[in-house]
Amino acid sequence: MKNNYINNKAMMLRTIKSILVVFTLALFVQSCEERLDLQPEDSRLTGEAAFEDPESYEQFLAKIYAGISLSGQEGPAGAADLAGLDEGFSNYLRLYWKMQELTTDEALISWNDGTIQDLHGQQWTAGNEFIRTMYSRLMYQVALTNEFLRQTTDSKLNDRGVSNELQAEIQTYRAEVRFMRALTYWHAMDLYANPPFITENDPIGAFLPPQIQRADLFEYVESELLDILDDLPEPNADPIVYYGRADRAAAWMVLAKIYLNAEVYTGTPRYADVITYTNNIIDAGYSIPNIPYAYSFLADNDSNGAQNEVIFTIPYDGLRTQVFGGMTFITHAAVGGSMDPVDFGINGGWAGIRTTPTLVEQFPGEENSNDGRELFYTDGQNKDIADVSTFTEGFAISKYKNVDINGNPGSDSSGDHTDIDFPMFRLGDVYLMYAEAVLRGGGGSMSNAVTYINELRGRAYGDTSGNITTTDLDLDFILSERSRELYWEAHRRTDLIRFNQFSSNGIWQWKGGIQQGTTTDSFRDVMPIPATDLGINTNLEQNTGY
Amino acid sequence: MKTILNALLFCLIILPATLMAQSTVTGSVTDKANAMPLPGVNVIIKGTSRGTSTDFDGKYSIEVSEGEVLMFSYVGYTTQEIKFTGQSTIDVAIEEDAAQLDEVVLIGYGSTTKQDATGAVEKVGDEEFNRGAIVAPQQLISGKAAGVRVTSSGGGAGEGGEIRIRGGASLSATNDPLIVIDGLPIDQRGGAQGSRNALNAINPADIEDFVVLKDASATAIYGSRASNGVILITTKKGSANQPLKIEYGLQASTRRVTNTVDVLTASEYRALASNPSFDSSTLGNASTNWQDKIYTTGTGAIHNVTVSKGYEHSNFRVNFNHASQEGALNDLYERNGVNASFVQRLLDNDLKLTFVGKAIQDEYAYANSGAIGAAIQFDPTQSVRDENGNYTQYGTTANLAPVNPLFLLENYEDRQTIQRVIANFNIDYKIPFLEGLRFNLNAGIDYAENDGHKFIAANPNSLGAFNTNEVSNGLNRNTSLDFYLNYKKEIASINTKVDLTAGHAFQEFYIKGFFDRTTNTNTTQTDINRNALESYFARASFDIADKYLISASFRRDGSSRFSEDNRVGYFPGVSLGWKLMNESFLEDSFFSNLKLRAGWGVTGQQEVGDNYGYLGTYTPSRNDAANIQIGTTPTGEPIFISTLRPEGFDENLKWEETTQYNLALDFGFFNNRLTGTIDGYYRETEDLLSSVPVPAGANLTDILLTNVGSVTSKGLELSFNGVIFQKENFGWDTNFNITFQQQEITSLSLNDDPDYVIPTGGISGGVGNQIQILKPGYDPTTFFVFRQVYDSEGNPIEGAYVDINGDNQITEADRQAYKKATPDAFIGFTNNFRYKNLDLNFTFRGSFGNYVYNNSASDRGNANAVINQPSYQGNAHASFLDTGFTSQNLFSDLYIQRADFVRLDNVSIGYTIPFEKMTLRTSLTATNLFVITEYDGLDPEISSGIENNFYPRTRDIVLGLNFSF
Repeated sequence: MKNNYINNKAMMLRTIKSILVVFTLALFVQSCEERLDLQPEDSRLTGEAAFEDPESYEQFLAKIYAGISLSGQEGPAGAADLAGLDEGFSNYLRLYWKMQELTTDEALISWNDGTIQDLHGQQWTAGNEFIRTMYSRLMYQVALTNEFLRQTTDSKLNDRGVSNELQAEIQTYRAEVRFMRALTYWHAMDLYANPPFITENDPIGAFLPPQIQRADLFEYVESELLDILDDLPEPNADPIVYYGRADRAAAWMVLAKIYLNAEVYTGTPRYADVITYTNNIIDAGYSIPNIPYAYSFLADNDSNGAQNEVIFTIPYDGLRTQVFGGMTFITHAAVGGSMDPVDFGINGGWAGIRTTPTLVEQFPGEENSNDGRELFYTDGQNKDIADVSTFTEGFAISKYKNVDINGNPGSDSSGDHTDIDFPMFRLGDVYLMYAEAVLRGGGGSMSNAVTYINELRGRAYGDTSGNITTTDLDLDFILSERSRELYWEAHRRTDLIRFNQFSSNGIWQWKGGIQQGTTTDSFRDVMPIPATDLGINTNLEQNTGY
Repeated sequence: MKTILNALLFCLIILPATLMAQSTVTGSVTDKANAMPLPGVNVIIKGTSRGTSTDFDGKYSIEVSEGEVLMFSYVGYTTQEIKFTGQSTIDVAIEEDAAQLDEVVLIGYGSTTKQDATGAVEKVGDEEFNRGAIVAPQQLISGKAAGVRVTSSGGGAGEGGEIRIRGGASLSATNDPLIVIDGLPIDQRGGAQGSRNALNAINPADIEDFVVLKDASATAIYGSRASNGVILITTKKGSANQPLKIEYGLQASTRRVTNTVDVLTASEYRALASNPSFDSSTLGNASTNWQDKIYTTGTGAIHNVTVSKGYEHSNFRVNFNHASQEGALNDLYERNGVNASFVQRLLDNDLKLTFVGKAIQDEYAYANSGAIGAAIQFDPTQSVRDENGNYTQYGTTANLAPVNPLFLLENYEDRQTIQRVIANFNIDYKIPFLEGLRFNLNAGIDYAENDGHKFIAANPNSLGAFNTNEVSNGLNRNTSLDFYLNYKKEIASINTKVDLTAGHAFQEFYIKGFFDRTTNTNTTQTDINRNALESYFARASFDIADKYLISASFRRDGSSRFSEDNRVGYFPGVSLGWKLMNESFLEDSFFSNLKLRAGWGVTGQQEVGDNYGYLGTYTPSRNDAANIQIGTTPTGEPIFISTLRPEGFDENLKWEETTQYNLALDFGFFNNRLTGTIDGYYRETEDLLSSVPVPAGANLTDILLTNVGSVTSKGLELSFNGVIFQKENFGWDTNFNITFQQQEITSLSLNDDPDYVIPTGGISGGVGNQIQILKPGYDPTTFFVFRQVYDSEGNPIEGAYVDINGDNQITEADRQAYKKATPDAFIGFTNNFRYKNLDLNFTFRGSFGNYVYNNSASDRGNANAVINQPSYQGNAHASFLDTGFTSQNLFSDLYIQRADFVRLDNVSIGYTIPFEKMTLRTSLTATNLFVITEYDGLDPEISSGIENNFYPRTRDIVLGLNFSF
């Protein structure tokens, strides 16, 4: 027994010693400092690992297009691009739409989200989070495009052994990415005048981007667009390859847009250039389809014929491209009161956006207009707005509907997300730009202008009863006609500023924060640089008036 | 591991040692103060390893030879020695050492005594713990230590609480302290997924004590994880030479919410019909208090069976625990756990092996907490069910309307099962060839797996809505290995005791999470995160002439979260102590203890959400719903492409650094019947790891985790302990602690712009609304509001605010920083009474200078909450009756309310019945008995300072029975 005990005791000591040895060994194995060099082990990838996959380039390009339509890496919400505001609110298209529409006579919103009411009231300050997030979104989009350009230089592609065939394709991608950057810088120039300026030649991280002046940014956007024209796909490119992508006509369109507004941006008119580039687009084969105007804003507007008019589209899909912004927002937020969500192919309204009497009065006969573009919903709605926060004050608008031409709902059977593609640039806009440039002395042909406008009005009235003649055509008519044709398509703010009707002129309900409306100071033609960015980026100077 | 266990078990069996023929002495040991028998007193024959301990009646029996000396020792009592001269019985009454100055206190990689401690170190032992049916360890010390604030997040089953030591040192990184259990640092993210409170893995009944390390001189040895303080938890181990002890404890409890949100009653709601916009046709015939409908009385039971025994060279303790707790929403928490500890001493006690292992299964059945908000919003005139017996709903024309709260509770399932093992093996070896040299190695693993299933019924108000089914599982693994050498020596020539420690530690954390969610949009996702820390540490302490104490520590940490250039951080700490009471000039003074302490230290912070924040990574689309169309098929079908996003990063990311100064005085009077400590500190955190806006365009994100800004805080902590009565049949002791604290952001941006603010504190009532700001010069929980204008009768005028900048319009430029959520001062006050076998104790907690934003009122205390909702009419908060507001006035300072409070947290009365062979203790405990406060919302104690859909705290009544054999 005692022997046994000693044996056992000896054994135990051996055991303990061996444990000690094992632990000591483990200790020195473990203590390697290399174990602190850790890399992602899930779906996240380091840059070098990501670009081993040849498809990564197209996926990165897709991200840049998605920069406008989506809000993050998980649909409809999750892994948001921006953290500064609710994810759905931070969507590019939603914010851009709000900037262009809520600030004008075309739309107001009933909600109480932060400082959102200050947009329609034209009372915003540099602390407005919607103005801030728009700005963050624009600069984020620019940063994405810059990163794409940095990652696709010839030397990087050669180092990674990218095939010649793919390299050639990537050259087209690069031109598209530069287009997307120019588009975004145009938005920044239009909204903020003097935004920070960064290109692919800047680093990422600890530096303060310099501020660019509006006129210099104009030159940059113009030169970029001119420079990429040859590398972009043919205008009106084949949708099999290019649906949802930008082609040369899209670049012409942005050129035409900046030239049309050049007087605002630089003080120097460029209307002749507007004629040149709108002509280019008009000759590229787009057409005003012979279908009702309303079809252009339905779930099947990518295939019901409406697509023939569209120069650059932001595609959405109820199942595959989901976001609580973009068309989901525009469609849901416009439904409330007695409107039946089923008619809109959605599961319910968000009871937010309506319009002011000013838009109503643009249409002869108002809510009973013969103009087919008048898509007001008036049942239970007051034309006048006594209380901004009540949806039924102000006529509702049933322009965007997630149903096809036969009234069948879109692909998302839950009714949350829509299939409507947002027509960012379409021929109707080009026609009106052409006519405006003619009137403003850019050359071109007055009779062509009338023909183009009558083409739009023919679609609107279904016959020639709405046609105009040369004598009807003046600048006031253009501004009104643009509103009738393009309301709620995110053009209004820019248009009003170009016609000097946005701030110190022009009155509509609740402008200035009072029901009858009042003028505001002209410095509001330019948005403030957000206070947050002024606080961190000492290179920035606030825009006048703020 | 199996070998070790075998070896240990073997030792336990063989060790009842060889006995020699000697005479037997018996006797009993009692407490001199009250003559109560003391169980578990060690009775050891001096100079030998022979000994025993007293049984439950304080009786012992030991073999002893003539001339040998019996030593009676017991933690917290003065050791007595009695020489054996042939007595047949030796009864001893030992005396409590009131100040317990020799009490051993852990300080991280070592220990010291209370009288030699130089840092701000506070020990809370099990006799001081809060009583009741407590499942969360942090609740044990709520209100018990100065500078430590524990705030529970509500009345949910298994709810834990947020621990803040000195208020936390960070803004965006964690403010949770590092918790070390028996030497194993626990993952600061909790260590397990799917849990409401990951710390529930520790059964409160197993905890011996908490040691709270507050100042940097004490915590610097934990380096990069120490800025928010460190809590060392020691679990019970049993003691040597202890007779077999079997204990059974039962705590049966009920819990019920004490308060609900004030909303309009059915009759108040009907009275709204006078409003022209009110649609009376929607009114029902019932009077339903929806909140009363959803909250039920929860019951709970905690069972503990503990077996412990000690032998000459070993001891063990095994506890089996079953706990169940129901929340007021009928949510459920269940725990089954076993905790075992084995201690084995070998080689003449030179080698001590300690194994502590816990295996826990936690199960949660969460309730749909959306029912809380739905109950506040739902029309009170509707009955719970309609005439067909179905739940009353607003119907499919109102997809944004609240869903019947009872439907929400019933048609919801969220179960999480967490299996977790925390095991720690410690070797402590006195190296024989050099007296005073000791080697200590600690190998630990904390491994948890979780499995969950969640079901959310489709919104009944929305046509075509989908059910959601989610399966999730995950794994957390934390492996730790550290060792150190410790050398203690008394150098008589210079009258100095030296204590030197140096060691190395490596710890790795691996977290994997997976979920597969099926609903309208299906998402499957796996996240893997791994990070590691490698450290070297050292400490040197000197005690000169038993008067002057000097201690210096140093840690070098390397973290995988930073690039190679910034990877390593150095964290020094120095502290000094002067034992004034040992100076001759204080001899015979009325002080029985007087010690001055001063400390300085630098600690770090690297506990940020992102593991690869310095690396530029790419994220693909995480589901098929985040794709975009590029091109079509030849037949016109869209082709969708997933996207690839580059992430923002800061390659220069580095440690956040906190420097802290501490000055303190420990004192004792009347033979240490009255003791106390005053601690003052000043703390400065620089290079805050903050998620802040980046200069637009400079990075691939708008908000980036980077090092920017600084925060300072200062505070004063006082704690007093008094033994007021100490008589045989009556005792009364008291503890009072009060903490004053102040925290201020000193800078927020790289260019120190004093006007630069970051909005924070999201609220309900409109998306993206925030009620707090971070602003230099202000507390980080400061509210940011309009100043309400009142009419001559003192009623608020809707929408009328003070035009601060005088531009004749009210814009957000007129919002001002106003009040804050953190208290200026908080207190804990505990009293323990004992009369014969009856004991009574109670604890008050209080908080002063804190404000709460009543978001329930600001969101819904207006007519629009009823009449201007998309296609339905909801209920309003009762504040509407006072204000008469039409719309939300979310940013009015009207809703910032003073929330000072004093809460009777805990009252417990107990009676101990000593039977012949066993002891029975019965107790009755009530928690949260009342709150005195001016705040008129639900509860003034809300750590974020924003009351919104808060899960109400409950009042628990607990019956306890404890048997010991």
